[in-house]
Amino acid sequence: MRLLGVELSRYRSRQAIVLLVLLGVAMAVVLAGVTAWDTRPLTDRDRTEAAAQADLESQRPALRREVQACERDPLSYLGPDASAAECADALVPSAESYYPRQALDLGSVLNDYGVHLAVVLLGLLLVAASTFVGADWASGSMVNQVLFEPRRVRLWMAKAGAVGLSSAAVALVVLGGFWLALWLVARARGIDVPDRDAQQVLWHLLRATVLAAAGAIGAMALTMAFRHTVATLALLFVIAVGGEIAVNLLPVDGAGRWSVGNNVFGWLDPRHRYFDASIDCAPGERCRLIETMTHLEAGLYLGVLLAVTVVVSVLWFRRRDV
Amino acid sequence: MSDLVIETRALRKVFGSRGRRIAAVDGLDLEVPAGGVHGFLGPNGSGKTTTIRLLLGLARPTSGEMRLFGLKVPHQLPQVMDRIGAVVEEPRFTPSFSGRKNLTLLARSIGVPRSSVDSVLQQVGLEDRGRESYAAYSLGMRQRLAIAATLLRSPDLLILDEPTNGLDPAGIRDIRDMIRGLGESGVTVLLSSHILAEVQQACHAVSIIGDGKLLAGGRVDEMLGESESRTRVGCTDPRAARRVLESSGHTVTADGDVLLVEGHEHPEEITRLLAEHQVYVTEMTAVRPTLESFFLKLTGHPMQGAAADAETEREEES
Repeated sequence: MRLLGVELSRYRSRQAIVLLVLLGVAMAVVLAGVTAWDTRPLTDRDRTEAAAQADLESQRPALRREVQACERDPLSYLGPDASAAECADALVPSAESYYPRQALDLGSVLNDYGVHLAVVLLGLLLVAASTFVGADWASGSMVNQVLFEPRRVRLWMAKAGAVGLSSAAVALVVLGGFWLALWLVARARGIDVPDRDAQQVLWHLLRATVLAAAGAIGAMALTMAFRHTVATLALLFVIAVGGEIAVNLLPVDGAGRWSVGNNVFGWLDPRHRYFDASIDCAPGERCRLIETMTHLEAGLYLGVLLAVTVVVSVLWFRRRDV
Repeated sequence: MSDLVIETRALRKVFGSRGRRIAAVDGLDLEVPAGGVHGFLGPNGSGKTTTIRLLLGLARPTSGEMRLFGLKVPHQLPQVMDRIGAVVEEPRFTPSFSGRKNLTLLARSIGVPRSSVDSVLQQVGLEDRGRESYAAYSLGMRQRLAIAATLLRSPDLLILDEPTNGLDPAGIRDIRDMIRGLGESGVTVLLSSHILAEVQQACHAVSIIGDGKLLAGGRVDEMLGESESRTRVGCTDPRAARRVLESSGHTVTADGDVLLVEGHEHPEEITRLLAEHQVYVTEMTAVRPTLESFFLKLTGHPMQGAAADAETEREEES
């Protein structure tokens, strides 16, 4: 615990890390502000203009002919059990269709900005974790630390604990703050947040926090093995970009399952669907090119990656000369 | 139980891959008894730092055995590490932290109270500079901070690798006095250096290594006692003086216009002999043996970077 406390102090004292965290906070604040602004309540003028647009559209001769045709044969337009009285409602656009913006909907925000904010924050926390131990190697202070704690596995664990706890705390506070702010905005606007949306947001927050901790530990483990921040970041870049290209070029159907990006989004998204370019579909053949990634599949994949990285890193650090 | 604080047997460390293998330490047998300041000498590249890194668990030996306080290392290193302070190569701290912050983190990691940080900063003369960023420290200040870090544990064994590198003369003297003081207080200090004059002034015993092997070891006074001292004689007629002295059984070599006579126990005999033959002494100096001359005799070549220091030292003593 003593070592963990020291490493936590070391983590939060690094200026580069503070800057990266502040960048994450700034992004969350900006995104929350943009979301709140883009979903602001409609003004009377907005409603009047939308109603006028809808009225104008309903007067269009082509549309009126379409409605009349529907009323003559509602079944072919609206399906079985349809009646002629439903045609006008179904075909003539309402004023809502011309509203300039939608009301705040946390479910939609989660599928849009929410997941992407979590991914960007994860990226910042990976860089922070990597620079945390990379600086120790670059300055040589790792030698001093090993002199003061010769049990290297303990030292490794203390650093991993500090990185994991700090990253989880940052993710929880930043993302939690983002969602809390939007929830308060919704409340202030009198919008009811459906239980399903609230639950999805909470589970997403939990998964994002776990991923932030695990990802940061992974980046730290890589840097402990490479002893260089740039090497770690270069590898992560190669995996992020080159890995995606390789997965799509692999002559194996379903290779998209092994894309790191798909698995990260599969873990963060409430329900991640992805286009699998690796599936070879002959002309005329019926193929399922859109796949769904479950949280379990994504969690297993990322968990195994993390476990392998950690084991290699610990063994290497324990054995190699410092 | 052995009273040896440091003990190595057939210690060997080989670097490199299959193609090119270099033995930095090659069968080293080192013994450092408890107490006092023990010099660890050798030219650059002789294996001093590698030996220290092996002892401290920073590098793994290829073969051989090491003991600290009688316990096998690196396996039992955690059991003795609390009794050891060490500076290996150049000081290494986090540049963006202040000196005090660096020490505070290290102190916390071993459960030493923060008040000790102030105490050790004071001991090395950094009490007023502790809050400055380490990146802004001069090399001398960094060395002092590194030594301060070693003192956090109140060690029984202090291993210092070139601790006066980058220090000004006053700083060198301060550190030397501190090392002496620690040695006198019962701490065993292993002082690694290639500056022989520094070691000669601070150490009571030395181990000299070359090419990863132990070349000689023992008390400094005994080692130097084995080397012959000489008397430097300037006179009005060097040629005649040489004849007179050699005919009376002295071993004499000429060094320009002065003579070097083996031994310095009886200078009055030299002056008397020469005066009896109307040769008059204009200069007479006892030239005491130095570690440099001992090293030269031992290896047949001077230690890199040490000759100038040794020369200065010889003149000081004259």
